[in-house]
Amino acid sequence: MEKENRFWQIVFLSLPMAVFVILIIWPLTSSFYYSFTNWNGFNSDYQYVGFDNFIKILTDKLFYQAAINTSIWMVAAIFLPSLFGLVLALLIDSSVPGGSIFKSIFYLPICLSAVVVGQTWVWIYQPDWGLMNTVIGFIAQEKFNYAWLAKPDTALGSVILAWSWQQTGLSMVIYLAGLTSISEDLIEVCEIEGASTWQRIRLVIFPLLTPATVVVIALSVINSLKGFDILYIMTGGGPFNSSDTLAMHMYNESFKKYLMGYGSAISVVLFLIALTIIRIYFKQLKKVDEIYG
Amino acid sequence: MADIQLPHGTGAPSAKPFNPWPVVIFIILSILAVLFLAPTVGVLFSSIKTTKEIAFGRLWDFPTSVYWGNFADILSNPSVQGYFVNTLLITVPATVISITLGILNGYVFAKLPFRGSGILFLVIISGMFFPPQVILIPLFRLFNGLHLIDTLWSVIFIHIAMGIPICTLLMRNFFATVPNALREAAILEGASEWQVLTKIALPLSLPALAVLVTLQFTWIWNDFLWPLIFIQSDEKRTVMLGIVNLKGQYSVAWGVQGALSLLASLPTLIVFLFFQKYFIKGMTMGAVKG
Repeated sequence: MEKENRFWQIVFLSLPMAVFVILIIWPLTSSFYYSFTNWNGFNSDYQYVGFDNFIKILTDKLFYQAAINTSIWMVAAIFLPSLFGLVLALLIDSSVPGGSIFKSIFYLPICLSAVVVGQTWVWIYQPDWGLMNTVIGFIAQEKFNYAWLAKPDTALGSVILAWSWQQTGLSMVIYLAGLTSISEDLIEVCEIEGASTWQRIRLVIFPLLTPATVVVIALSVINSLKGFDILYIMTGGGPFNSSDTLAMHMYNESFKKYLMGYGSAISVVLFLIALTIIRIYFKQLKKVDEIYG
Repeated sequence: MADIQLPHGTGAPSAKPFNPWPVVIFIILSILAVLFLAPTVGVLFSSIKTTKEIAFGRLWDFPTSVYWGNFADILSNPSVQGYFVNTLLITVPATVISITLGILNGYVFAKLPFRGSGILFLVIISGMFFPPQVILIPLFRLFNGLHLIDTLWSVIFIHIAMGIPICTLLMRNFFATVPNALREAAILEGASEWQVLTKIALPLSLPALAVLVTLQFTWIWNDFLWPLIFIQSDEKRTVMLGIVNLKGQYSVAWGVQGALSLLASLPTLIVFLFFQKYFIKGMTMGAVKG
């Protein structure tokens, strides 16, 4: 029996593991190797340059800018869609008429690609005929011509808004599922005991939604770490690198300037950041697991 | 708005102390829904308006007439037809194979655990969390060496590999709910593990498969980064690259871009609508169970 099991383990695992090791694990480890070289993407003769690339990172002003933007992006891209999703879920869960139609409307953007979403929002922010300026112009009763994506002050924020628009539906659906698992009796008890709506949400519903929050945050972390496509489409990291993130910076250095050694060093830093966030997350998850079983 | 309140007033099991709320919430949700739909409606409008109309600031006006020229332009453009064929040639095999590999992995981790399989499982699913930029450069070099750059194969291969973590996770969790007694009984009757997997475990896991088909199809169809890195010539471009490329081809082509965006979104919307029931259930399984 033991032998039989061993046979099937090998038969089943060999192909998937081979693919995984060759296309994920091996590239991941060799990223570390390339980060110590000055490879340019084409020549096969490149040198080992020690910690040069990492020293360059420390003096790279654009890297700092990108690191700051990445933190802003991560915090906003995790927090905003989760909060919007929770609010929408609470509103829809209040047995409002047409709930399922609302659910579909808010969920729709998730099916669209980052390219389509990015391009659509470029039109919303378009200075001459974009929706944003049209609406502001209508309210202010005078022509409004602000170039949202071309101004360093608003470029990153504008992309974050577009991103939140797309991601909100996902957290809403997960919170809705979490809400249906909360027993009606409990809510009724709250009403009998005279708890206000806000007290009910804050003290009863939200704590019971913790498992849903765990899933929402996990998905947001995964998605926001990968938030490259929409930035590439909407701003390309500009203007003047004001919306550059580490992923964007890494792409530009490697595939625009062909500094693949330096690009590898940035990707190693990106990897270490991701690793740290994931470790923090799993630690919190363990705490939650201990409390909620 | 008054008629909306009616169904709540009549026959509600417990009279709620705050009656104006349903109406207020309905109005708030309606306003939010309009705001949420605006971008999508913008794409819809742009596809049936001429670029000149859009340039004159009439994109957001309700269309008085429908202009089909954008769709005619798009559908008769041979390179656009190529974009769709390429994307399909990438998405279908990559979806099927990544799910197949996930099934094989998931079955072992759920039903045939061994010493260290728990750690191996964690290593595989942690692949989900990392930004793809981390493996971009070595993969570019690997595929370049294998002469796979600028072929559809490079994109197919990477999507198969990138799909393994999520497919393994979902299939393992689903197979774990298949009773062990079922497997043991089948083994005693002389069935092999392969037969248990294909005849018992898989037929019980159709909801998980529906989730994975939706997820993988949508993710691969919509992907932009990998084709951007690996594909260079126009004949090999995917739809998403094509949309971006249209900007370069025409100086301003908002109408054509809108039409292509709309067409490019249809396959994922159709797949989603088709599997919707299972998809939302599957995505939220974790949220309910914790």
